[in-house]
Amino acid sequence: MKKTLLAAGVAIVVGGVAGTALAQVKPEVLVKQRQAVMTLQGKYFGPIAGMASGKVTPYNADVVSRSATYLENLAQMAWDGFHESTKGGKNTNALPEIWSQKAKFDELSQRLQTETAKLGEVARAKDEAGVKRQYAAVGKVCGACHESFRQKL
Amino acid sequence: MLATSCFAQGDAKRGEYIAKAGGCLGCHTVEKDKAVPYAGGRALKTPFGTFYGPNITPHPQAGIGRWSEADFVRALREGRRPDGAHYFPAFPYPSFTLITDADLRDLWAYMRSLPPSSRQSEPHDLGFLYRWRFLVGIWKWLFFTPGPFAPDPGQSAVLNRGKYLVTALGHCGECHTPRNFLGAPKKSRFLGGAKFGKGTAASNLTPTRLGKQGDGELKEFLRTAMTPDGDVAAASMAEVVQNTTGQLTPQDLDALVAYLRSLPPLPEEGK
Repeated sequence: MKKTLLAAGVAIVVGGVAGTALAQVKPEVLVKQRQAVMTLQGKYFGPIAGMASGKVTPYNADVVSRSATYLENLAQMAWDGFHESTKGGKNTNALPEIWSQKAKFDELSQRLQTETAKLGEVARAKDEAGVKRQYAAVGKVCGACHESFRQKL
Repeated sequence: MLATSCFAQGDAKRGEYIAKAGGCLGCHTVEKDKAVPYAGGRALKTPFGTFYGPNITPHPQAGIGRWSEADFVRALREGRRPDGAHYFPAFPYPSFTLITDADLRDLWAYMRSLPPSSRQSEPHDLGFLYRWRFLVGIWKWLFFTPGPFAPDPGQSAVLNRGKYLVTALGHCGECHTPRNFLGAPKKSRFLGGAKFGKGTAASNLTPTRLGKQGDGELKEFLRTAMTPDGDVAAASMAEVVQNTTGQLTPQDLDALVAYLRSLPPLPEEGK
């Protein structure tokens, strides 16, 4: 009984630490981290798009499968970096609409995770036709979010 | 024989390419899966109200099936309907007026070859003051100069072709040049980038901004809507790439880029 209580106590403390840890990260570091995620998403989406569109030949199902799996994982990572504390910060192209249209932003970030998961699935199944369909769906979500929430470069 | 027939009638095959270079599809096709191309319905939101691209398939009632070639030429060159009334400049005739006679004839031949669609065009939904088409006459008197593109003999054929693609067919400035309060492009800020409020904007296309990109990178972006490092364009430009710049011949893409490189650099507009 005591042990359970203690465990619960530890869990609360640890949970609390994890929750506040993010809030204590400096906003400029959060910006850097989420930008790193975006850069890496580009790194792994690039070869998929290149091969799926026929620009990069030959099509290599192993490279596509590996890249899609990395991308699927990366697609979950950027979002907690869009913390309120980073709003209006320097060295970022993130627009304030991210926070004023939060529901739309969250919906698009969720959709990216759904679409990249589907891409991962068809890529691992070595389904070339499926990849050619699904990579376009992923690109569409990227573009839709950049349209409303990223400063035009 | 061949020469006569070419002269007498436009070439629909060439016209199809001109329709792509002109990006007609975007505004004249609704944003839906399996939408009928050129049957209209796209909403264009502006500070003056919402315009809907009409059906331009050759359907006699719903489309432009009863038009003559002269009606078509007048619409694009002068911004007038067959009955003489003015079009709102949401239809980018200030750019399309620059299209050459030969290209207009080919474009018309292609439009005639499309399957007719009976989809009804919806009326524009405009602010109180902006509903009167005769006011557009004043706007045109102030801001509109009709007449086809005249190549500059002092410039190379490539730069002239690039300028024609950007200013006449591509109508890039309709989004990438900022507008004054009457909705006319600010000539001093030509292709200098524009903001549309609520975060949406079009980039500065002068060397100030594009100078950071190599020719290869820029061309890849215009072909694929992606940069070599995997960055993806915003949705509205991605559509332009899909419909227009990604469809250009390699020579035309070269000319387009060469022309953009030759523009006077303009600083970014203040935020």
